[in-house]
Amino acid sequence: MTDIVLSFHVHQPFRLNSFSRLEEHPKKLFERYFNEELNKKYFEAAAKKCYLPSNSILLDALEKYENFKVNFSITGTFIEQAKKYSPETLESFRRLVETGKVEIFGETYYHSLASLFKKKNEFKRQVEKHKEAIYRELGTKPKIFRNTELIYSNTIGKEIEREGFEGAMIEGSEKILGWRSPNYIYKAKDANLKLIARNYKLSDDVGFRFSNRGWKEWPLTADKYAAWLSATPGDIIVLYVDYETFGEHNWKESGILEFLKYLPKEVLKYKNLSFANATEVTKKEVKDELDVPFNLSWADLERDESAWIGNKMQKSCFNELENIAEKAEGEELENIAGLLQSSDHLYYLCTKGQGDGDVHSYFNPYKQNNAYENYVNYMNILQDFKHIIKTKGGKA
Amino acid sequence: MIGWEFPPFKIGGLGTHCYELTRALAKKGVKIDFFMPKTKYKIDAPWMRIVAVSPEVVLKMKGAVYKRKKSRNIFDAIEEYNENAALVLEEMNKKENYSLIHCHDWITARAGMRAKYLTSLPLVVTTHSTEFDRSANLNPSSWIWGIEKAVFDQSKRIIAVSNFVKKTIMEKYSIDGKKIAVIPNAVSKNNFKYKATKEQFGWDNKKIVLFVGRLEIQKGPDFFLRAAKKVIEKRKDILFVISGEGSMLPQLINLSIDLGIQNNVRFLGVLPQEKLSQLYSVADVYVLPSVREPFGITVLEAMIAGTPVITSKTAGAPEIATHCLRVDFWDTNEMANKILAVVEYGALRKEMSKNAYQNVENITWDKVAEKTIGIYNEVRK
Repeated sequence: MTDIVLSFHVHQPFRLNSFSRLEEHPKKLFERYFNEELNKKYFEAAAKKCYLPSNSILLDALEKYENFKVNFSITGTFIEQAKKYSPETLESFRRLVETGKVEIFGETYYHSLASLFKKKNEFKRQVEKHKEAIYRELGTKPKIFRNTELIYSNTIGKEIEREGFEGAMIEGSEKILGWRSPNYIYKAKDANLKLIARNYKLSDDVGFRFSNRGWKEWPLTADKYAAWLSATPGDIIVLYVDYETFGEHNWKESGILEFLKYLPKEVLKYKNLSFANATEVTKKEVKDELDVPFNLSWADLERDESAWIGNKMQKSCFNELENIAEKAEGEELENIAGLLQSSDHLYYLCTKGQGDGDVHSYFNPYKQNNAYENYVNYMNILQDFKHIIKTKGGKA
Repeated sequence: MIGWEFPPFKIGGLGTHCYELTRALAKKGVKIDFFMPKTKYKIDAPWMRIVAVSPEVVLKMKGAVYKRKKSRNIFDAIEEYNENAALVLEEMNKKENYSLIHCHDWITARAGMRAKYLTSLPLVVTTHSTEFDRSANLNPSSWIWGIEKAVFDQSKRIIAVSNFVKKTIMEKYSIDGKKIAVIPNAVSKNNFKYKATKEQFGWDNKKIVLFVGRLEIQKGPDFFLRAAKKVIEKRKDILFVISGEGSMLPQLINLSIDLGIQNNVRFLGVLPQEKLSQLYSVADVYVLPSVREPFGITVLEAMIAGTPVITSKTAGAPEIATHCLRVDFWDTNEMANKILAVVEYGALRKEMSKNAYQNVENITWDKVAEKTIGIYNEVRK
């Protein structure tokens, strides 16, 4: 029996204001740095195109098929925005969790790279804050951890264990698996932690290639995909994609929502397939130990941290974020410092050309689609905030 | 090929373009007779034959002027040059059997059209800028528009130096886009290998913000000074260096005094190649605030010299040289914001400089010549 660990990533960052040093800005810090109008616009559009219709499809399937289960990672910033801009979206997630067949992963509240800071207290703070938010809003306690963009290493594994998690989602990359298949349970090196590897090929068939008419398998249908899953050997298959794949990155007209709707039925036609929550599959036999001496992620061709801290501009901002996180004290300053840490802000500074660059610019929400412009704006904000922390003497 | 200015007799990008293009074409086996006005300068271009046509023209601060009869204006000189060039070309064609005529901009357009009429050879025109660009769209001359329209109609193919120019030709001259090929300018790495230090310029411990270009309304030098004022309010250790000549010089000097920033502004005039290269190399940032800039070859020059670039959004060069910051030319607040950022954020400077250099290194005159020969082969059929 092969268990399908169907997982979706749900996140919205707080987008930044255009922040010139030559102009006056609001005194209230949140309004000073974050663009409410843009956040509202993006959230409402995504709710209409993706969150609401997809949640409704999943809820129907969860009620209809006993053996259908799904998993979500939902960031703290997403929950904050949902409360503000679309309470019905948050309510629809609550209803999913109430079925008892939906598992929510733990992660950093702000979708940050705090796991890469030298000092670990900021990472801990954000993981705790996320746990609290998930329990408060969705009434469940995460047991499996997924770090931002699946960034993982032996070192990070130890921190995840320390936070009380039983397992972690990682990228099923050949870089660490070598000849081994992603479709089994592994354990972490130096930590009491199960590792659940994403099958990136099968995930990307849906996440990246679904609408690609140049792809030889286009159009991808639920029955064809289920046949592939059935023919894939292993104990598990982790399918993990951005939730916005459904209705946002691929428009409704592509047939993506129909794909989602028929997938449970088509999969359950096969006797050798079933769906599972991530915690359940950690009970399966451990095949091997995985040594991850470097930072592994699910992004770009490199599958490392270079999409966020690859170039000098990104490194300089990352250093400022680390510096700011250490100095910010009190609820307001700590929260602003966290919101500025969302990895999206660093992602928009990426200057990688060709293939990957296209993906970067697709996600860029700002008018000017230019890493240098984004850097000027982001760094202006970080410098301004640093100054404010200094003048406030680290007190809120 | 019918030209107008040619180094060292040059005031703008047209001269550089003709120099580099003919050299690269000749390397690929194209034989060129290059028509240009008589000048007292020694022209050093052994790769082709220079055909100097009267009248003699000299370079002055406000542009080229007619030498012999100073009371007459430049337009008479241009007219006389065009007429003579066409007649000489017709005469020479009897022996040379040219394959085609290639002219540049309105300033040589009438020679091109007249020679085409006299010889029945195919005509190609390269458009570096249109009247809408030169006049900054303020008061375009309908007389020049007419010449441009005529040469676009009569040419077999039109080469535009950017999509920006192509769009202008399509929209303002009602020309079918299929007739227009976009071949952007390039930059020669060797011309910008000369480096210097700030000490050599006497600018120790100063940040240098550079402007290079004709001091004409099209290039927006006044916006440069207005942005300078705002930057200097934030920090004093910045010099705004202007290299170039033009009719706005007195006005710009006055403006820098009115703004109270004269101690932070330097006017250097037009510099020889080596000195210009050194100037780019010491600049922390290059700013091109043009109101309308069909291409902006200085963008490539700054990039190949490793200097970060801020350009106005109305510039053609960033179509191919993308690693730069862009602003609206009128938005001097934003210009100042970005100047401050480049000056203060080392990581930004390094990243822009490195990526722009790698980008521009591949934009060579050799490739321009290759594409131009493609056009030549088409029109000869």
